[in-house]
Amino acid sequence: MLIISTKNLSKEYPSKSFSKEKILALSNFTFDVQSGEIFGLLGPNGAGKTTLIKILLGITFPTNGEIKIFDKNISDESYKEKVGYLPENHKFPNYMSGEEVLYYYGKLSGMNSGDVKTKTNEYLRLVDMDKWRKTKIKKYSKGMLQRLGLAQSMMNNPELIFLDEPTDGVDPIGRKEIRDILTNLKQTGKTIFLNSHLLSEVELICDRVAILNKGVLVKSGKVEEITAVSDNYIFSTSEFAGDVLHKLLNDYKAVIKSSNEFYFNSSDTASLNNLIDYLRQNKILIHSIVREKNSLESMFINLIEGQN
Amino acid sequence: MSKFLALIFGTIREAIAKKIFIGFFVISTIIILIFLFIINVDSIEGMVNMMESSGEEGVKQLVIGFEVAMINISYLLIITFCFISVSSFIPSMLEKGNIDLLLSKPVSRMEILLGKFLGGVLLIFLSLLYLIGIVWLILSSKSGFWHVPFLYSILWLTLSFAIIYSLIMFIGLISNSTILSIIISLFLVFVICPVLYLREETIFSLVNNEAARFVINFFYYVLPKPTDINQITTDMITGNPIKSYMPVFSSVLFMLAALSASIFYFKKKDY
Repeated sequence: MLIISTKNLSKEYPSKSFSKEKILALSNFTFDVQSGEIFGLLGPNGAGKTTLIKILLGITFPTNGEIKIFDKNISDESYKEKVGYLPENHKFPNYMSGEEVLYYYGKLSGMNSGDVKTKTNEYLRLVDMDKWRKTKIKKYSKGMLQRLGLAQSMMNNPELIFLDEPTDGVDPIGRKEIRDILTNLKQTGKTIFLNSHLLSEVELICDRVAILNKGVLVKSGKVEEITAVSDNYIFSTSEFAGDVLHKLLNDYKAVIKSSNEFYFNSSDTASLNNLIDYLRQNKILIHSIVREKNSLESMFINLIEGQN
Repeated sequence: MSKFLALIFGTIREAIAKKIFIGFFVISTIIILIFLFIINVDSIEGMVNMMESSGEEGVKQLVIGFEVAMINISYLLIITFCFISVSSFIPSMLEKGNIDLLLSKPVSRMEILLGKFLGGVLLIFLSLLYLIGIVWLILSSKSGFWHVPFLYSILWLTLSFAIIYSLIMFIGLISNSTILSIIISLFLVFVICPVLYLREETIFSLVNNEAARFVINFFYYVLPKPTDINQITTDMITGNPIKSYMPVFSSVLFMLAALSASIFYFKKKDY
């Protein structure tokens, strides 16, 4: 089931006040997000990621294009009852305590007082902020504010959660905890739309990603598809030498890494199977064959540098 | 409805946190204490005794005199303090990170603005209720003259505030500046409006040109008229006939226009 779908979404801003010159923040962006997936949005600074999230949430209006969330046009604001949002650099009223923040935003989400209290207890415990619930948030660290922000985004038990840099300012242990929370949310059927600069993190938890550059969608797909390097396989075998080594080097053009590991580049499955047959005929045990992958980060850098 | 109430109480909560309520309470309490002191000093006691000896009418006149003084003090001090205090409501709401979160909630932009507006108005109403209510109780118990029209001034002063607050809101939305909102509202209330109110005695004695007079009259009718409303309040307390309710109607129209313009602008704006 489609949770979000956009078609030819564009957004232009005037470059200066009263100027006719326009800046294209988003250009003909078409994509969709399926129910129950963690969708990652990547891109360098100024790529249009936050603009896209703001448009999807009705904070900013698109210049052109169609958007449907839960199969409804976003002019019908009722969809927001099923949505949670953690903005980047969010600013909660600093005179409130942690539990007051959750109460206030829970009420604004249309929750009744009983549910707000129950969920406040539940989510403050989940993000490990229970002991700071009465403390004014002006005394919170960045990491604590992010945890509280995450709790806030889950308060109304949303089906779709937008998270803009959720681990910003959070220490590595906190990041791991947030990743675990997101994975658990996914297991309960929630759809998560994640915007993060931490590509390793995106790679760990996202099912699909879209890469934006200068407002244009440059790549999208499943993480494993995007990070796969075509036709390069890593063979891990029992030790080989002599004729086998000679054949691997000369006939199969393999790149030898060690006496029991080599790279083989193959554009078709027939040559791959041919090599496997050869190894088996020569009593070489195959421990594993792994298609080589790029890290999301190196793929991202190559792609963006290539574009620029 | 609960979302709308949350917005109203959120505004009041903000006022409490920013010590606005405490400010009102302290200023009001000081005024009440000064008032208590004044009505208990010997010379005033003597005046009260003299008025009492001249009959019930004398006491009434004295009480009404105190009430009119109180209305003018409230108008000057409290309303000024209110303008300064609430001017930050809209710019702080528009801060990046705060407005994003608010707009992501299932509350319409109109509800957000009206929640801020009604929260501010309720805040001023409660503050005036405290100040004028207590002064009324003191005066009435001391004189035995329970003059209810004085209590109506709470509503009139609240209305005056609401009219100017609608303008503050509009300026805050467009300029995102607390200072500009304060300057324009104070200039309007304490310079433009009194001058336009007294235009016949002041400007028209200097300007004979009909076109210029027309323009000045135009501004008088278009702009809010807190000075006139204050005069209506005073007339109501003193029992003088009220010449016209036009200033009230035109000011309320101004408020509705300013609120509509704010809502229209806020609904179209990208954040």
